[in-house]
Amino acid sequence: MAGNEEGALWSIMGYLLSGLLIWGGLGWAADHWLGTHFFVLIGMLLGGGASMYLVWLRFGRGSSGQSTGDGSSTNK
Amino acid sequence: MRSFLLTGSGGGFVPPSTADFNLPPIFGHNVYTTKPIALVALSVILVSVFFIAASRKAAVVPSKLQFAGESIYAFVRNDLARDVIGHEFMRFVPYLFTLFTFILTNNIFGIVPLLQFPAMSHVSFPYVLAIFTFIIFHAVAIRKKGLLPYLKEIMFMPGVPKPVYILLTPIELATFFIVRPLTLSLRLFANMFAGHLLLLVFILGGDHLLKGVIGLKLISPFAFTFGIGLTFFEFMVQCLQAYIFTLLTALYIAGALADEH
Repeated sequence: MAGNEEGALWSIMGYLLSGLLIWGGLGWAADHWLGTHFFVLIGMLLGGGASMYLVWLRFGRGSSGQSTGDGSSTNK
Repeated sequence: MRSFLLTGSGGGFVPPSTADFNLPPIFGHNVYTTKPIALVALSVILVSVFFIAASRKAAVVPSKLQFAGESIYAFVRNDLARDVIGHEFMRFVPYLFTLFTFILTNNIFGIVPLLQFPAMSHVSFPYVLAIFTFIIFHAVAIRKKGLLPYLKEIMFMPGVPKPVYILLTPIELATFFIVRPLTLSLRLFANMFAGHLLLLVFILGGDHLLKGVIGLKLISPFAFTFGIGLTFFEFMVQCLQAYIFTLLTALYIAGALADEH
């Protein structure tokens, strides 16, 4: 199904974006409260890395799993 | 039509801005009858009339109207709903079809002479549509899997050491509950907003140059030509954005239905 390849693409973009946003945002908040300047960078790096890991977990792990529902290779 | 008055007064060129999107009420001071709302209402009427007319005298040998209506319907049903969602797709075809035709019509209003305003460039309209999609794909998943298993599925990827969840769970939650509806609506909004602004710049700029000295008058056709070219480009973007919004809605529903883990 062609739609699922496209779906994976959009999901990956969503994950990367939210990884940066949520951990970058938490880092920014920490900076704001503590008066520092480096937590936002740490947060964004952490979030970016974590979201890439998440993308790999979701889409890179299974051999057949290109779709958003790649449950076939995990536990069944 | 504020935007046409802006350049007329002989002063310097006033570049189009967000103020051009705040159109005055049509009747007196009633804020509920603005141009975007009138256009949305018009689009509902147009879409309804078109598809009722196209499907009323359905024949084996279709008329041109029926053929046009059925092509659009077949596109949404087969290429969007069936290919993405899978065997349960028929339940969602009405919503996807409404979504696609509604957004498409409203987007194309952006380049239809006299109407010339995409309602989706007001962010509230995409917000409402994204809220619908948001509610639908979560409701579908909750009904299919139950609330707690669904949340568990979102929050905890299987096969990951437990401490890593601290890192991953916020990302998953943000993706499903914030980023998805937000990007869905903002993508549509930003494309329509930027497109309309771009057309305003070139067309109003060309108009302003035409009123200038002779040297500027000679440049004016280039601005207009560019404006016309961009109008065609806009048409493409408008179709594409209607398609992407519907495609993503279908994908989210598909993800909600899929048996994961």
